[in-house]
Amino acid sequence: MPTLSTQVLVIGGGATGLGIAWDAALRGLKVILLEQGDLAQGTSGRYHGLLHSGGRYVTSDPHSARDCARENAILRRIIPAAIEDTGGLFVSTPADPPQFADRWLEACGRCNVPAQEITPAQALRREPMLNPRISRAFYVNDASLNSFHLLHALTESVRSSGCQVLLWHQVVALLIARQAVVGARVRPLAQGEEFSILADVVVNATGPWTAAVAALAGLHIPLTLGKGTLIAMASRVVNTVINRCKPPSDGDIIVPVDTVNVLGTTDVPVSSPEQRSIEPWEIDLLLAEGEILIPSLSQYRPLRAWAGIRPLYRPQEVEAINNRSITRGHIILDHAENDSLGGLISVFGGKLTTFRLMAEQTVDLICRRLGIRSPSLTAETPLQPGHRRHYSLPARLTSIESARATGHPDLLCECEVVSKGEVLTALQGGDVAELADLMRDLRLGMGPCQGTFCAYRAAAVLAEVGAGAQTPQQALHAFASERSRGLSPLAWGTTLRQMALQHRVYVDLLHAEVTD
Amino acid sequence: MKHLIVVGAGLTGLFAAALAAARGARVTLVARGRGSLALSHGCIDLWATKSPSRSIRRLRHPHPYALAGGFPRLQSALADFIYLLDRQGIEYHGAPSRNHRLITALGTAHLTALAPFSLAAGDLNRAEPIVVAGFEGFFDFSPHLVASGLQRQGADIQDCLTLPLIELPPGRERFATDLARLFETPEWRRELARSWKPRLTGVRHLALPAVLGLEHNFIVWQELQDLLALTISEIPTLPPSLPGIRLERALRRSLSSAGVQIIEGSRAVGRVDGRSGGQLVSGVVLQTAGGPRLIAADAVILATGGVLNGGLVFHEDGRVQESVFDLPVAHDDDRTRWLGSDPFGSHPYALFGLHVDQHMRPLGANAKPAFENLFAAGSLLAGADRSREGSRQGIDLATAHCAVEAALA
Ligand SMILES: Cc1cc2nc3c(=O)[nH]c(=O)nc-3n(C[C@H](O)[C@H](O)[C@H](O)COP(=O)(O)OP(=O)(O)OC[C@H]3O[C@@H](n4cnc5c(N)ncnc54)[C@H](O)[C@@H]3O)c2cc1C
Ligand SMILES: Cc1cc2nc3c(=O)[nH]c(=O)nc-3n(C[C@H](O)[C@H](O)[C@H](O)COP(=O)(O)OP(=O)(O)OC[C@H]3O[C@@H](n4cnc5c(N)ncnc54)[C@H](O)[C@@H]3O)c2cc1C
Repeated sequence: MPTLSTQVLVIGGGATGLGIAWDAALRGLKVILLEQGDLAQGTSGRYHGLLHSGGRYVTSDPHSARDCARENAILRRIIPAAIEDTGGLFVSTPADPPQFADRWLEACGRCNVPAQEITPAQALRREPMLNPRISRAFYVNDASLNSFHLLHALTESVRSSGCQVLLWHQVVALLIARQAVVGARVRPLAQGEEFSILADVVVNATGPWTAAVAALAGLHIPLTLGKGTLIAMASRVVNTVINRCKPPSDGDIIVPVDTVNVLGTTDVPVSSPEQRSIEPWEIDLLLAEGEILIPSLSQYRPLRAWAGIRPLYRPQEVEAINNRSITRGHIILDHAENDSLGGLISVFGGKLTTFRLMAEQTVDLICRRLGIRSPSLTAETPLQPGHRRHYSLPARLTSIESARATGHPDLLCECEVVSKGEVLTALQGGDVAELADLMRDLRLGMGPCQGTFCAYRAAAVLAEVGAGAQTPQQALHAFASERSRGLSPLAWGTTLRQMALQHRVYVDLLHAEVTD
Repeated sequence: MKHLIVVGAGLTGLFAAALAAARGARVTLVARGRGSLALSHGCIDLWATKSPSRSIRRLRHPHPYALAGGFPRLQSALADFIYLLDRQGIEYHGAPSRNHRLITALGTAHLTALAPFSLAAGDLNRAEPIVVAGFEGFFDFSPHLVASGLQRQGADIQDCLTLPLIELPPGRERFATDLARLFETPEWRRELARSWKPRLTGVRHLALPAVLGLEHNFIVWQELQDLLALTISEIPTLPPSLPGIRLERALRRSLSSAGVQIIEGSRAVGRVDGRSGGQLVSGVVLQTAGGPRLIAADAVILATGGVLNGGLVFHEDGRVQESVFDLPVAHDDDRTRWLGSDPFGSHPYALFGLHVDQHMRPLGANAKPAFENLFAAGSLLAGADRSREGSRQGIDLATAHCAVEAALA
């Protein structure tokens, strides 16, 4: 493959990298973005789903709180299709410090985070499953933000302005000449030979991998990593984001996202971004804390657990006591200034809620470096949901019902209403390397049966059209393994029963092979 | 006449109830749900080796086969099973000395001793070229997956096709059970056969998804073979799986003709006979919508299954509970050790369950039978990894047979 060249090369296809590519493309820059996996395979597909109102940070990190409040309003305007306006509540349960609520409300005022006190009775009318013993309740502008949907919309916008987003492409080396990074060496993970891309500016937006990518240029970024575990409950027990009114800690938020409620999170120091295995105590803690907010929680089925990794900046001068007291604001490191190495900028930290702001500030810096005067347009440009508009369940139900009127909707995944036509379209898009990509693209296998039925049917489509590098049997096995990894930490009660059902079908009935 | 309660309506419970009724007992079958026959291939797996009988003869205590009386017990159970099903119109083919090699919907081989006629017709040991066909818009069976799997095994695949289905009501998903009912409509299947005929010239053996009829499977199968002038075999689909459902319905027919009372939909809680000094059970209490309802009996057989069917309940804190009498369950109390690493591989939890004596009486804390007149059979028993051994239905039948004989003795 010949060497490509571009003005801006972005490494990392999470919200931060895609946001930067989008902002730069809107300003007319030429951009190539490289992502080593699928969209949303990094932290942006493992997060809590909360579009922060800012309320969570008003006491611990007022700067972040202000950023969140501002960005919350902007994102609601530009990408309403990925947001469900659930609203949010901060509630004081008997387990929370009673004096905190007044201090918190005051801080909201200082940070311009809208918060309105309502009576516990009003809160319970809105959310009847809440702990009836709450003493205070405040309404805030929290919402849920579907990152899978957001990342698809960003990708399509970048591509439609003539720039490139390459999935399954990993940066394996940075090219350095005369005290500057001038490009990267790229390895396609699906198929093909390594090649190089030359660029005027390279942006390292690799989330928890930031230090590893900077190390490719011989640089040291002092990052520590913190793992946070999340549990999706198989029902929407609440329809409003629920926060404990107390200083931020473990397991204090419940977010309704699509068909589930997500409980989170923990914070465990880890040494690598791949260290995502979940410990039993994390699960026990999240469920126990969840019960403080919703006393009947244990009667619902935990559907799935996963973990995401936060990069936390820890330059020597900051001697923090624990991870949570380190700033969660974002960092934009211009290595020309910090390390006298031009051409490379690292961007990390922050929140998904603030990805647009991070992108704007980063591209401002890029423009200064390139001597271009062009303002950011992202705050005013609506993000088109694109052809993945079917990602949202209501849209999908509508299309299935209209198909039903005339013929057969051809459903492959009944839980999440995914049709064969949608799978074929996704396969034609060319970004699909494994069945789990269809899960992230279409929600295939994300429902209560966790792939028990659709894994077979989707593998059949692969066999029919001859797609993918794996045999259909291998693809099926890989998908089942991916789905069951998220069930294993919850393997008791009804979740274990679900796993036993899947085992009965694939082993006793279908005699699926174990591994190749 | 003895009154026997059987708890559970899967293969084990239905077979135990039918057998007990045939031996003259008064039988009440109580079940909260439906059992898992609709998930099954409808065959009787004994052991997944060349010769199941030889493998089973080698087993020792505490394997449930050995406890139930070894190979002779299994032989009696199979004879009773074959006779019972034959009377309900399902002929099972095969013998415990040698396995059929049947095709699965993934194109892998399924070793099983007894198979209903239309599945047995597809035995790969016959080595004749096969054409695999699926149906348009029916996703629970893929001829492409079957073909790609079979090719990897070196089976003789002549072709793989998708056949059209005529005149389905619009707006309906195509489910196996719907299709099975359609195939029972004579005009529909005849027209279908006419439309397929030109596409099947030169085909001698056609393998189809197992949806050829529900109750009248035999007639449908024979008529299609006659109309198309070829051999047809059925391959079980994703659930709902018709061969399993046909078996379930046949067993239920035999229960109702034998006058077995069936009470479904409520949870059974075991009841100990207070006057017996804790030696005997007196029956079960059903938690019905109208309140608790006591059913007294001379003996109780638990056929409530393992984790899938609710016989065993696994808790977050590592406890595993038997759901009717709260009997001691052999298990590991660290929940992180319940699963193996491969989702399709073996899992340690599969071995958990009740220890029983040679009369299928669950053992109490002191390794003595917990009660004189309480018995257990099927997946509830410890000591066998049924999926790995390929022994599930054989253990169900043999242990049910043993429990019934002991309960009626
Ligand atoms: C547990 C948890 C819960 C959170 N909850 C919330 C929340 O509720 N609300 C909120 O606003 N924020 C939340 N956050 C923060 C938010 O998830 C992150 O700020 C955001 O997802 C970061 O996006 P990113 O693009 O920087 O990183 P990522 O999404 O991790 O993207 C980095 C990408 O770089 C790719 N990459 C790495 N190395 C290479 C390479 N060599 N070549 C090519 N590509 C490479 C990776 O595959 C990855 O996809 C949460 C974070 C965690 C950990
Ligand atoms: C906003 C939001 C909403 C979501 N809603 C749903 C939903 O409705 N339904 C649903 O099914 N999912 C949902 N998910 C989760 C999603 O399906 C995935 O679980 C998530 O994207 C993580 O991907 P994964 O499971 O492939 O992660 P992986 O990390 O590949 O695997 C998941 C599990 O494996 C564990 N694991 C990873 N590596 C190891 C290792 N080396 N050793 C041991 N264990 C390991 C992880 O801890 C985790 O438990 C949602 C996610 C988000 C962000």
